[in-house]
Amino acid sequence: MPAAAGVTRGGIDAMISNEPSYKERRNKRWIAISLLPAVALFIVLTAFPVVNLLALSFFHVEWREATSAFSFVGLDNYHRLFSTEKVFWDGVRNTAFFAVTAVSCQMVLGFSMALAVRTAGSYGRAVLTGIFLLPIVVPPIVIGTMWRLIMGREFGLANMLLGLLGLGPVDWLGNPDIALASVIFVDIWHWTPFVFLLMLAGLESLDGEVIEAARMDTRSRWQQIRHVVLPMMMPTIVVTLMFRVILSFKVFDEVYLLTSGGPGTATEVVNFSIYRTFFRQDQVGYGSAMSIVTLFAISVVIILARGFAQRRAARRSAVS
Amino acid sequence: MQSFIATFSRRSMLRACAAAFIVAAGVGTALAQSQPPVTMAINQSPWLNSFVAMVEEYENETGNKIELDVTPFGGLLEKIRNSVRGGQGAYDIVNVNSLWLSEIYSGGFLAPLGDVQAGYGLPEGVLTYGDTTNWDAEAGTFTGGGALMGVPVNGNVQVLYYNTDIYAKLGLHPPKTWDELLANAQAIQKEGEAYGFVPRAARDSIVYNFTPYLFSHDAAFFRITDSGKADVVVNSPEALKALQTYVKLATESGPPGPGNIAQGELIQLLATGKGAQAIAVIAAWGQLEDPNASRVVGKIDAALLPAGPAGTVASSAGHWVAGIPRNVPPEKQKAALAFLDWFAAKERQVDYVRAGGVPVRGDITGADLGDDAAFRFIGAYSQNAQHAVMGLPFAQASEASDAMALSLNRAVISEMTPAQALNQAAADLAGVLERNGFAVTKLPDL
Repeated sequence: MPAAAGVTRGGIDAMISNEPSYKERRNKRWIAISLLPAVALFIVLTAFPVVNLLALSFFHVEWREATSAFSFVGLDNYHRLFSTEKVFWDGVRNTAFFAVTAVSCQMVLGFSMALAVRTAGSYGRAVLTGIFLLPIVVPPIVIGTMWRLIMGREFGLANMLLGLLGLGPVDWLGNPDIALASVIFVDIWHWTPFVFLLMLAGLESLDGEVIEAARMDTRSRWQQIRHVVLPMMMPTIVVTLMFRVILSFKVFDEVYLLTSGGPGTATEVVNFSIYRTFFRQDQVGYGSAMSIVTLFAISVVIILARGFAQRRAARRSAVS
Repeated sequence: MQSFIATFSRRSMLRACAAAFIVAAGVGTALAQSQPPVTMAINQSPWLNSFVAMVEEYENETGNKIELDVTPFGGLLEKIRNSVRGGQGAYDIVNVNSLWLSEIYSGGFLAPLGDVQAGYGLPEGVLTYGDTTNWDAEAGTFTGGGALMGVPVNGNVQVLYYNTDIYAKLGLHPPKTWDELLANAQAIQKEGEAYGFVPRAARDSIVYNFTPYLFSHDAAFFRITDSGKADVVVNSPEALKALQTYVKLATESGPPGPGNIAQGELIQLLATGKGAQAIAVIAAWGQLEDPNASRVVGKIDAALLPAGPAGTVASSAGHWVAGIPRNVPPEKQKAALAFLDWFAAKERQVDYVRAGGVPVRGDITGADLGDDAAFRFIGAYSQNAQHAVMGLPFAQASEASDAMALSLNRAVISEMTPAQALNQAAADLAGVLERNGFAVTKLPDL
């Protein structure tokens, strides 16, 4: 059979053998070349520092005669971390508690605030949005200073107000039983606007007709939120939750400025332990081991959260 | 005017110009800088302005230039590390806190001053704060016979502050012993007007604050017995007595929540008259005498720290030493030393005190300052400086301090008994020493 006009014998063979055409191959090459800068940046800015950190965690570093001396210690730093270290693990416990408590409160408050703004009039919406967003634009150093002044036992504003009511004074930052709760409170105040912002964006993007239909079909506002708004908002909620969990594991500035991890280890968090070990004590190898363990733990949390979100999405699409 | 111009010939003008040139050249020579400019890394502490005043005085007097790179305390060590560990240092002088001295000395980052200028020694009268200006590289510790590594620039030792109004009202006297201090504190606390005693017991400063108690009880954190050998003695019976005294003062006569009181809170309590007695750094004096920041101007005095059971007195060194890095050119090193030597002279130190600084000499008296009441701290400062000790004289001082701080802090907030705290501190300190190559012996647990 003669070949069709414009179609070469080689082209027919290529189609028959399912081999990519020249155009497809060229496209793939172009895609690979286009990705190269991003891959190079990833290697230089992310992969290399992490690999370097991992390598450092197997060494003990000392300075003698103004020269660094690296001694290979194998898994000693990890062994020490898992066998004799106490402060870091107190920090892990506090950080986990901090993340769960602070993020839960922020999610509930942020979502409620977004609902309030969504249903407010245009003037109220502008005013409420401005007020709600204020904490997130304040620099962390100012937040630390401000709340340290407010929560001071002797001269703090909080105790002055309590005094007017005949209560207190409360040692917000010096009492080991409530110091962590005080830091969590400040974190909630600081980061709830972030949740609010994402939730508001999510609510604004919902289909208005569905919401209107739900209003007619449900008996109460709570039913409307529970059975319509919340399921529709789930992708936004999951993404926001992941953002906040990751960020809450990175808490440092509030603890550093308010309590420096004390009293005792009441407000010790992972990042503060790493900072103290790596920078103040100059234990580079041991600090690297702490960092790698933390990095690994956060990665596991993210992978689990993503897996959960993907399974949930798959289940929902199967049902619908 | 016209007649003046008419008589001012070209020759006259040339003569005038020549004369002006000669005069200008003469003045210029007098103020020309004889040394290259020097850059110094320094901390942003309350005494900074007094140091800046001395730099200005030096520049006006010599024409040499000193550029100060001012950094908050928390970031200075990293800046210093980055500079001295590089091939070419950014700083010709680094201002090193007493807690970091052993790390910087043992790392070999500083040029011994005897190498910068052959035979250089500290001017007579300059304090060494427990020989912390000298480092024995072989022994790995401070010794008077070691190489001279720097010149002190601020003598920040701890002193006993007390409120003279409250003392007068209750008929109290500056305490000579810890028991007397406790008795004073209880009497003040009972009166109810102010806290009897304010400790500085937050985790990041408790080891420094506790050091005078420990050493005045003839105890120590550890003792180097031989090269590479150390006895951990922080859990001795004497140390237990010292910690019991510390905890008693902090919990029975101090503000609630002592475990979170850092230097800022302590000064605030003294400055507002809410705290009647405290052991704190002499650098706080300026704030306590500042009418814009204090309600007790003229009502605070300083004294020698109380003695232990055997009459031993100790203060903890918290001073600053200026060192000259190895990795800067020799001419810069010489210029740096010229400034530091100028700064340590007695007449400059008197100026330094007048500008609000804490001197680094022990031979300045009230008479040198015209017996001005504003400088009434000078006697107590000199006495305490003579008894200054370096609690952790080895390279891993920061690590050891952090390790023990937690246990001491837990004793103050009643999470541990003093005996448990010291046993734990001893175990932690032994771990730090062993990890860093010491053969360690320990006392049995209390």
